[in-house]
Amino acid sequence: MSNYIERFNTSERVLHWIVTASFFTLLLTGLGLYSTLFNGYFTLFGGGRNAILIHKISGIIFFLSSLYMFFNHQKDVTGFDQDDKQWIAERGGYLSRNASHFNIGKYNPGQKLFAIFIAAATLLLGVTGLFIWAPTMFPRWIVQLSLMTHGLMFVCSIMFVVVHVYLATIGNPGTIEAMLYGDVRSLWARKHHPKWYREVTGEKP
Amino acid sequence: MTNHWIDVKNADVILIMGANPAENHPISFRWIMKAKDAGAKVIVVDPRFTRSASKADLYAPLRSGTDIAFLGGMINYILQNKLHFEEYVKNYTNAAYLVNADFKMPGDLNGLFSGYDPKKRSYDPKAWSFQKNADESVKKDPTLQDPQCVFQLMKKHYSRYTPELVSRITGTPKDKLLEVYKLYSSTGKPDKAGTELYAMGWTQHTVGTQNIRTMSIIQLLLGNVGIAGGGINALRGEGNVQGSTDHGLLFHILPGYLPVPSADLKDTAAYIEKHTPKSKDPQSANWWGNRNKYLVSYLKAIYGAKATRENDYGYNWLPKLDPGMNGSWLMIFDNMIKGKLKGFFAWGQNPACSGTNTTKVRNALAKLEWMVAVNLFDNETASFWKGPGVDSASVKTEVFLLPAAASFEKEGSISNSGRWAQWRYKAVNPLGQSRADAEIIHDLYQKLKELYSKEGGALPEQLTNLTWNYGFKRADGSIRSVDIHAVAKEINGYFLEDVEDIPKLKPGEKAPPPPPPGTPKKMLGKKGELAGGFAQLQADGRTSCGNWIYCQSYNEKGNMMARRGKKDPTGLGMFSEWSWCWPVNRRIIYNRASCDVNGKPFNLKKAVVYWNPNAPLPNGKTGAWIGDVPDGPWPPMADEKEGKKPFIMRADGVAAIFAPGMKDGPFPEHYEPMESPLPDNLMSKQMNNPAVKIFKDANVKEDVLASNDARFPYVASTYRVTEHWQTGVMTRNTPWLLELQPRQFCEISLELAREKGINNGDTVEISSVRGKIEAVAMVTPRFKPFKIGDKIVHEVGMPWCFGWHTPGVGDAANLLTPTAGDANTMIPETKAFMVGIARKG
Amino acid sequence: MADTINQAARKGILVDTARCIGCRSCQVACKQWNKLDADKTVNQGTFENPRDLTPALYNRIRFIETDSSGEVTWRFLNDRCMHCGDAGCIKVCPSPGALYRTKDGIVAYNKEKCISCKYCVSACPFNIPRYDKDDKISKCNLCLERVSGGMTPACAKACPTETIKFGNRSQLIAKATAAKKTLYGENDLLGLGVAYALEGPPEQYGLPAKPGIPSSIFLWKDVIKPLGILGFWGSIGAMLLHYVTIGPKKVDDDLNVKEDRHE
Repeated sequence: MSNYIERFNTSERVLHWIVTASFFTLLLTGLGLYSTLFNGYFTLFGGGRNAILIHKISGIIFFLSSLYMFFNHQKDVTGFDQDDKQWIAERGGYLSRNASHFNIGKYNPGQKLFAIFIAAATLLLGVTGLFIWAPTMFPRWIVQLSLMTHGLMFVCSIMFVVVHVYLATIGNPGTIEAMLYGDVRSLWARKHHPKWYREVTGEKP
Repeated sequence: MTNHWIDVKNADVILIMGANPAENHPISFRWIMKAKDAGAKVIVVDPRFTRSASKADLYAPLRSGTDIAFLGGMINYILQNKLHFEEYVKNYTNAAYLVNADFKMPGDLNGLFSGYDPKKRSYDPKAWSFQKNADESVKKDPTLQDPQCVFQLMKKHYSRYTPELVSRITGTPKDKLLEVYKLYSSTGKPDKAGTELYAMGWTQHTVGTQNIRTMSIIQLLLGNVGIAGGGINALRGEGNVQGSTDHGLLFHILPGYLPVPSADLKDTAAYIEKHTPKSKDPQSANWWGNRNKYLVSYLKAIYGAKATRENDYGYNWLPKLDPGMNGSWLMIFDNMIKGKLKGFFAWGQNPACSGTNTTKVRNALAKLEWMVAVNLFDNETASFWKGPGVDSASVKTEVFLLPAAASFEKEGSISNSGRWAQWRYKAVNPLGQSRADAEIIHDLYQKLKELYSKEGGALPEQLTNLTWNYGFKRADGSIRSVDIHAVAKEINGYFLEDVEDIPKLKPGEKAPPPPPPGTPKKMLGKKGELAGGFAQLQADGRTSCGNWIYCQSYNEKGNMMARRGKKDPTGLGMFSEWSWCWPVNRRIIYNRASCDVNGKPFNLKKAVVYWNPNAPLPNGKTGAWIGDVPDGPWPPMADEKEGKKPFIMRADGVAAIFAPGMKDGPFPEHYEPMESPLPDNLMSKQMNNPAVKIFKDANVKEDVLASNDARFPYVASTYRVTEHWQTGVMTRNTPWLLELQPRQFCEISLELAREKGINNGDTVEISSVRGKIEAVAMVTPRFKPFKIGDKIVHEVGMPWCFGWHTPGVGDAANLLTPTAGDANTMIPETKAFMVGIARKG
Repeated sequence: MADTINQAARKGILVDTARCIGCRSCQVACKQWNKLDADKTVNQGTFENPRDLTPALYNRIRFIETDSSGEVTWRFLNDRCMHCGDAGCIKVCPSPGALYRTKDGIVAYNKEKCISCKYCVSACPFNIPRYDKDDKISKCNLCLERVSGGMTPACAKACPTETIKFGNRSQLIAKATAAKKTLYGENDLLGLGVAYALEGPPEQYGLPAKPGIPSSIFLWKDVIKPLGILGFWGSIGAMLLHYVTIGPKKVDDDLNVKEDRHE
């Protein structure tokens, strides 16, 4: 048996990093819009007007790529089985130092919920962003509501992304490899996603 | 104005009728609001609920052209309820005069006064004469009880103007009528002031002059003339129309309201004899008795050294009118369309838009050989030959358009409605090739003089003998540019020789003993000095004065019009040291009528002047008027020897309730406009003003009227809007203003709109028998249908500031208006005519 | 960012609608002083034109006709930036100095600093800010250059009837209160810099009865944003805490394989 198995193919990885890059571009360009506290971030882009322009462009890229990514993985991330419920009930074992064992497929429920959330946030941020883009073309109340929603969704997103980054890096050593190289170590796969590991390798439990 | 703009703040009741100051004289509302702040009530009477009406305490609608009925009803109300100011009426008006026993009034003569000749369409004013005593003085009944006295005749005449009948004629609900009457006549108390503000809404009718007369009668009955916050105040339609009228703009007057001589007055003696009223009343100042001084000084001003006693001061060179000739606006274009005029200067005007019955005006212009248009911008007149429906190739008129400078591009004086002549300075240089009017006239004069000198012609002296010292002269005698101060000084007048001050002796007064030899002569003025006031002018050629009412405006103390003093010691806003007003800086004319016969103000709180019998005078005597410049220094009337009556411009010294000088009746009477929605005049059998000229010539197809005609069932009126000025030549070329009012509109009541299936904003066609225009329908509750007699009459209105020359704004509203003019002034009747209206497309 | 106002020094305008004759001198004087182009308009069956504020129209008169039981009224309202004491536009503006308050209390703006985000459009309780052809904010700035030079704003200067009265705001308010005028904007939004004396209920003039910054804008700016920052740092803190208390889930722990390539 090989030490490595493929978790994400090249196009999946590229897509993810496009989403990631556009997300962080949005973050950096949006920070100045979020609050005057972060006004300095505008200088990264040569001023607020450019920042807004880049925010709009990266917004389109993020909106399309993020939703595309979701639909790519839709099958894998929208179904929850009995094992998943178990995982949820025990919070994935993240609240305990003890080792935990869940019979998890390619994605654990946390990842699934994160994917669903990001998809929904993408949709909301995109639509509200459109209203904010051209506020004079829409009724004022829609734009006002959009500004609030956009802000709210951003706050939620950034918090989830912090968790996502943590869990994908130092929180779960070895995970990042999936996104960097596409391959994960078999050991890692067996530990975190045993059901998937068996599916891929044909190994019997 | 008898009063002035700021004085409006002193009123207790302000009647706005025949005007729309909020829209057309916005600055006046500064003072109207100040009056309101002090508790005054504002009444607006208008066919349409205007922006002025929006600020009124009381608004009453009336059908256009029925003001005399409305106001006649007020006279009736005042007299029936004895609300008049009896002391004032008895002392200061001709109410006590007895009219001849044969005099009959419209109530007895089917709407006519005695003396009417239907063939000539005119009255013989002799039928309206007063009863005379043996010494030629007028018989009076100071008790005002004699049935032939003016007061009783007036009472009888206006007793026909019952609220019920007035309401049937005007369409004003009876309760509104009575409310207006009650409120306004509350100013008949000695300490109350009512003012009236009018403009073209009163003048532009075939009964225009009588509209104002009716109000004058009311003001006299209530004692509102001569007082602060009173008067009868014409809001002039242009910044300087007062000035241009003062300076002889109209065909029948020379500068200073001297009549243009008629050709049958062969010399100054005949002229003076004809135009100098006489009075044997020792209490009458009869100021027009000085006519000779003003005429001769005027001739000396225009002909200078060329005017000598021997050549009758050049009187023969003055242009004359043929006896009975009328050179008014309507006649100019009537003669033009009949091919009687070769050339025409349209100077600062746009008759192809402003002229009533514009089609006639436009067709008339095509009959000219040449036309010179002087204006800031190209306009409908200068470009008439390429106007809508005009076959340019067939127009032979040669047109010259001279670009003129705007008011801020030149220096000079502007006389406002309150008679204040204010000096203005040049702010910027004229743009491009445009030049000040005076410069254009100057060049024109030089060229004409040159041609007349070279080629001769009919009476070249008329032109070549004019003095023309309006600036620095080059060696060859030509003037580089016009010095407008020189013009102003010529208007003010000069002492041409030393003039000694010799007091005039009263009849029977002994000449004072000759002063001891060696005493220096007391001088009125030295040769070359500017005259100090019209009292100094002489009839023997020793003084010059271009316009006697402006004498003092630019004297040895300097340019009085440029003064900017802000002192207001009375608190009445007279600001006597701000600019200068004619006559002799008198801010409220006939101000002696604000006091009783002893010189005590009727209203102590708002005293314009008062008589101080103890004030020391330079000649050792005592007694002087304090306050505004009084109408003459004489003591008040109670002083039987020296005292004078207050209305000094009237030969008899009193105001005329009964006015035999009018062409269409000594009392105003209601007649229908030339185009009326009614088959009959509800007041009498006489439908229209019997003395108006009827324009009826088979060759002038444009002159048509359609009264009581089913095709044109709606009363219409034209007006101005705040956003545009006159025909809009200046304002339509100002994009900011076009933004505010971008297109011709027509205001229509909700009821009429419903009837005609017109929605707000629809394009409609408005037509009269003379033409049609397109407009945006403005459907508004501010117009309401009138109940006239037993029928419902709708009225519509539209502004006249648009013309085809500005793309997309629509053509002139005056295409609809009739050729019909007032009996006295010939001002066109553009405020009441008949139209049809239909939704377009 | 905090928008504070010195009420005592505040200059303002009191629009006494009972004095307005709808002459629109204010509208034109404003264009003249601010060198604004004319807008192309059409007559839509009313005197009112333009029908709304534009980037080239900072101030206009609304013409309001009513006709109840035969009694017609025609009222005129000066429609323009109210220079709120608590200004939604300043609150949301992300570009420091683009929208700011002068020492006179004027809500001013600097087009150079405007980044065209248009947040102010949504945050304004009165829907005032417009964006010009360069996509920069345009609105009444109370002629702040004139005011700082000791003059009155162009609209107040041109007003013939003293409808638009400029001066110390508290004094204007005190005078109007003494004259028993019905005031609008005396206290709303910490007092409107352009307050009104009305002749009827505000709704008749097309004014909100209780003007305020829209609640969604309030929630966004005053609740979500500060909480969001807290949340962001909170989530990072939580992760760090997790790392040191519970620790990462190392694959090697389970399987005792020392093969970590990437740590």
